[in-house]
Amino acid sequence: MNSLNLRWMLWMALGLVRVGAETPDLLSLAWTNGRPILEFRLVPSASEYRVRSSASPGVAGPLLGGSHRGGRWTAEAPSVGDSAFYRLEALILSNETVRASTLLNRIAYGPTPDELDRLATLGTDAYIEEQLAPEKIIENLDEAPDTGPVWRKISITGTGSSSKLYVYLSGAGDAYLDEFRLVAGTADNGSAPNLLANGDFEQPLAAANWTTTTNTANSARTTDFVHGGNASFHLVQTAAGSTGTDSLVQTTATALSASTTYTLSFWYLTRPSNLQLTVRLSGSGIATTVPLQGNAESPLPYYARLQEGSATIGDLRAWHVLHAVQSRRQLAQVFQQFLENHFVTEYSKGLTYFDERAGLPNAWSGPESTRQEFNENLRWRRAFLNPQCTFHDLLKISAESPAMIIYLDTVLSRGDYNTTTKTNRIANENYARELCELFAFGVDNGYDQGDIEQISRAWTGWTVELLSTNQAANPFAPRTTVLINSGLTNATERNSVTNLAGLWSFRYRTDRHDPRVKWAFYERDAKGGILTNSPKTVPARFGPPWAGRSYGLKLDNGATTNGIQDGYQILRHMADQPFTQEYISVKLCRLLVHDEFHHGYDFTDAETSPEESLVHACMMAWENPPKGGPKGQMRDVLRVILKSDLFRQSNTAAAKVKTPLEFAASTLRAFRAAKPDGAFTAATDAPNLVASGGLLDRAGRMRLFDRAEPDGYAEDAGGWVSAGTLSERLRYVQSLALAGAGLATGTGVRSNPDSLGSSRIDPSAVIALRLANGAQRSAEAVTDCLLGLLFPSEGAANLREYRALGIGFLNTANNGTTPSDFSALAPGTKDYDSRVRGLVALLLSSPRFQEQ
Amino acid sequence: MRHASSPLPIKPLNRPADRAMNTPQILTRRNFFSTASGLAATAALSSLTDVPLFVQKALAEGGLGQPDANGRVKKLLFIFLRGANDGLNNVIPHGDDAYGPKIRDNIAIPVDPAQSWNVQGKALFPEAGTTGATFAYPYSLPLGNGFAGLHPALKFLTPVYNAGDLAFIHRVAYPQQSRSHFDSQAYWETGAPRTTMVKDGMLYRAMVESGRPGRNSLTGVSFQNSLPLLLRGSRAAMTNLSDPTRYDLLGVPNTADGNLKAARALEAATGAAFPNKANRDLLQQQYENMRRTLEIFAGIDFSETGNTFVDGDVTDGNKPYYLFPTTNAKNGAGPSGTTNPGYVVPTSAYGYFNQLKSAALILNKTDALVAGTQIDGWDTHSNQGGVTGAHANLLQRVGWSIYALRQYFRRYADQCRWDDLVIVTLSEFGRTTIENSDNGTDHAEASVMYVAGGGIKGLRTDATGKVTHSGVFNCGPSDPVAWQTGMNGSMFQSTGRYLQRATDFRSVMGKVIRDHLGASQEQLNRIIPGYADPNQSLKAGGIQAQDKVRITGEPDLI
Repeated sequence: MNSLNLRWMLWMALGLVRVGAETPDLLSLAWTNGRPILEFRLVPSASEYRVRSSASPGVAGPLLGGSHRGGRWTAEAPSVGDSAFYRLEALILSNETVRASTLLNRIAYGPTPDELDRLATLGTDAYIEEQLAPEKIIENLDEAPDTGPVWRKISITGTGSSSKLYVYLSGAGDAYLDEFRLVAGTADNGSAPNLLANGDFEQPLAAANWTTTTNTANSARTTDFVHGGNASFHLVQTAAGSTGTDSLVQTTATALSASTTYTLSFWYLTRPSNLQLTVRLSGSGIATTVPLQGNAESPLPYYARLQEGSATIGDLRAWHVLHAVQSRRQLAQVFQQFLENHFVTEYSKGLTYFDERAGLPNAWSGPESTRQEFNENLRWRRAFLNPQCTFHDLLKISAESPAMIIYLDTVLSRGDYNTTTKTNRIANENYARELCELFAFGVDNGYDQGDIEQISRAWTGWTVELLSTNQAANPFAPRTTVLINSGLTNATERNSVTNLAGLWSFRYRTDRHDPRVKWAFYERDAKGGILTNSPKTVPARFGPPWAGRSYGLKLDNGATTNGIQDGYQILRHMADQPFTQEYISVKLCRLLVHDEFHHGYDFTDAETSPEESLVHACMMAWENPPKGGPKGQMRDVLRVILKSDLFRQSNTAAAKVKTPLEFAASTLRAFRAAKPDGAFTAATDAPNLVASGGLLDRAGRMRLFDRAEPDGYAEDAGGWVSAGTLSERLRYVQSLALAGAGLATGTGVRSNPDSLGSSRIDPSAVIALRLANGAQRSAEAVTDCLLGLLFPSEGAANLREYRALGIGFLNTANNGTTPSDFSALAPGTKDYDSRVRGLVALLLSSPRFQEQ
Repeated sequence: MRHASSPLPIKPLNRPADRAMNTPQILTRRNFFSTASGLAATAALSSLTDVPLFVQKALAEGGLGQPDANGRVKKLLFIFLRGANDGLNNVIPHGDDAYGPKIRDNIAIPVDPAQSWNVQGKALFPEAGTTGATFAYPYSLPLGNGFAGLHPALKFLTPVYNAGDLAFIHRVAYPQQSRSHFDSQAYWETGAPRTTMVKDGMLYRAMVESGRPGRNSLTGVSFQNSLPLLLRGSRAAMTNLSDPTRYDLLGVPNTADGNLKAARALEAATGAAFPNKANRDLLQQQYENMRRTLEIFAGIDFSETGNTFVDGDVTDGNKPYYLFPTTNAKNGAGPSGTTNPGYVVPTSAYGYFNQLKSAALILNKTDALVAGTQIDGWDTHSNQGGVTGAHANLLQRVGWSIYALRQYFRRYADQCRWDDLVIVTLSEFGRTTIENSDNGTDHAEASVMYVAGGGIKGLRTDATGKVTHSGVFNCGPSDPVAWQTGMNGSMFQSTGRYLQRATDFRSVMGKVIRDHLGASQEQLNRIIPGYADPNQSLKAGGIQAQDKVRITGEPDLI
């Protein structure tokens, strides 16, 4: 047998390919004990490999019995006769299934159990259109579900460890409480006698019922907010409570018994706050700690602080991550992160500027820099809600953002005449360079150093100033003179920025602007002189309709406030040049399809790859909007990519590696299913994910909103995959999957092994939602369920080894060697949960789950 | 029954049992190895299990990664200064009368009016004594060649220079310099400027040529946020660690009963076969790399308590100083009793020195050949500062790094002695000769490289103290490619704005990789592709064809 023969066999098989079946590359054919063994290359998304045998070529022949492991198929019986033809076929998952998986991994932060189900019904085309129109998706994550106060009921059971009940908050602050009930038994039907006196706070407080302590002395009954009856209790604390000496206390009239189970229930008013409310018996027989904000995962309190301007950078990051996990506008969320990373700015640089240059106190500088980061993101988010949102809109938001003006040094750049040196000051080139290289044209694409020098002069005068609140959107407004406290007698204090009312905003200063004419994108002579009659032209490689177009830009707006037009004209001019179209299209393709798209294709030569064609199609949609309107509509470009054949290919599925943000969000989403009561089976500890020392920081230093280098975080795998970053991902998975049973903290099967936060998943609960009672005890069914949730684009045939591994894991005791029948473990028990969590941790730690 | 000459696939009549039929394209690397093992160096190869042919060939070829005649293995430590270091304010050309306040009103480094600049010989070390502040001296430090001075924040380089172990190579760049940070960093890292065809790192290729990836777990190791391009490539995994102290868990649940089970399961999960896709090889290599690295690291103490390394010399103030300043108590101070004249590095540098210490430990305690890290923040567009300020704070890190590494490898040598090591700094380009309106400097062209080590040929003097060999290259009164002075001189020779190069950085790296690490010239031609092109003049010097600039070729530094 030689290679020619094998290829011949392959060729014949190709003639028989039918829809849904592919022919894998055959590598070898051998026999063991007379049984034929075929080795072949695995095919993406294969759900089944099967082999036919016949005595003559061109005849399909019957299916042979056999089994495969990896890329090796072994017949179950010795071959008959002296010669035979073998044909290997692979059945692959439907195009729709694979595409749904790719969509949920690329335009969303990973599949959730519910979204997988929804897409199977909705269809991928409809999902694309839904996500491309985020303004039509109802979303109220940042708003309270209704406008009135929301009361929440808590009910817990436990033993009567003591007769003293403590109620306190985790810090200084206040809360509204009502309708405390404590009854014997494991449930409260409402008719059992309440062992607490004045639990509804309808009576004045007295020693016989509730007593306050020094720390809670400002508390009082109130009628401001009431859940039942006419009054509730307003708990006010000056410091954190922890025990009977600093909380609200009641000692029950009837002594409780430590051997009896009781049920405690109460209502509290949820509100934006970081505080925790603890209600417990001394000794913690009955004990509960709940977030005062109700839903611990709500972005609402972060949004409230961001709106108010008091948010820290941690608040902004937490808000961002919570949206990534929860938002129904997933594409908009992915796109916003793309924009934030493309038009990158650095929170720390803003902080330093406000602190050292602008004269703000250190404590104000962080929130002010955060506000600037938030504002630009809010503007991008709103811009994309416009169906005709263009790249120019987004570029302009970035250019006008004080965060950018500070980040790339425009804020201090001057080009005005210096009477000492008798020359104009030399403008800072930083923003001009990155505008060309990183934000619009792409490196060495249609510009050179001379253009950067010309463009840099256009941005002189763009500064950041404290403008009065009603003038914050007016770049010509003078610095605010509105005093917060006009009664200050000390002139320095009175005129300090800390006593001025206003908002730090973009302000244009004519006195710093270089008013001379600028010639951007013009040819030069040998000595570097500008040839004002020779604008640069688009290179031939772009082909029609672009090649040969002149794109010189003369800026002559003079020294008046018209000088502001220099900058705006550059943005308008650059936004839709073919260089920008190409550069942004390539970046979006890399984001959504795979890493191997390149800049600088020759669009005119005969060699055309699918990648080049897709970039070209994006540019054409940019240039000629299919539905009319302005050039550069982002939804058109995104639609071209998502509907392309390249995007559909099974090779595209799982061909990218998740960034730390994508990895973190996808681990939570993979196990975030809605339970019938509306709660979810995963809890996101957003503040810790994004904190210094959290997962995003450790797995490659992805500090959101705070990257020092203007190229943004890497989209390709190389930057994120190394021994160190992978080991951090694995540590996080342990913390996530193994730290606690259920979603509660502190009651887990294992103590938290790491400092990577307290995000939680409850895989047993997900299994209970998706499998019937009997199937929940089947190692096979549970393994298949998990593989389906985590690797939806991969077919069963390729997952066979993971499946065997999973079943083996579930049927092995924790020591790793002793067989232990999974079906003997009852769902709901700690042992069952522990076994499932171990397998989940393993699968989330696998190389395949690093892919998207 | 078919005829034997049939072109169709037919089982042989008398088939031998279990015979495999391989087509050429599916030879695995293991197959390749078994057919290639008849080559030279079979003894060295006997321990290889899955090593590609190109690696085995390398073993037979050069001395890279192999013990030399004295049984020593030569190593390299790199420090990348990311953001572009303003070389004109590192090694300062005071011999050029154009340098000074008229081009750098706010940031020029002044000369000490009380110092004579014509002294030939050793460089000045301004002793702080036991009571003065470490960096109190506000003037440039004469380097003893009558022309160049050193930024005072680099004062700890002087003892290394005066010991003859340090070379300053000024005016280093490459043809058709890119002024993009990212492109230029990539060119420095691939060692192949102005081409995107070379996608893997220069030191990665050196490691591949050593024949050791796949045989040794650690070959090239970096300590920073992510693996730098310098060490990236598709055929072997180099190791990057952001924090080596977090390398203690073996990747799986940390309970006794969970460890074994999960370790086995993880091993099985990484061993499962899947269809080939983009990035799957990368993930596979790095997972395996991670598992092996975890085992090696268990034997090295990276902890803060283990950071007890101290200086042996009285260099400034009292001894001993801690060598790796990772806390206030270890910054410019030693174990109890040391008088402290002030911090030797800014307090913001502790994270970096932790990484530098890790790099030193890895070279000294394992058979890794290359290790390194980076210092960020050199993009001083605004408020660069002069004698003090942002740039000076960065320079303090560089100065102390090289000083401390010398002491560490002299005093604590295990697998690597100071003589076995070369330290090299890289930075993507220099900065504009004239300062901008923000008291900073913008992207420009040539900058400076530091090369240090026990085997480096730096300052040499004869018995009378006369300089026979200077450690200052390209910044002296009689350079092979002369430093031209004045407002039309070297500092403005590139497009009227930038310092023109006199040496290609690849000539420096090439000299180190061949003459220190032990690559053959053939290997070097593959590691740095430009060496094979006579038009680039990297070895002997001459005119570089791309932009007609004259360069020196390899500096005489080893």
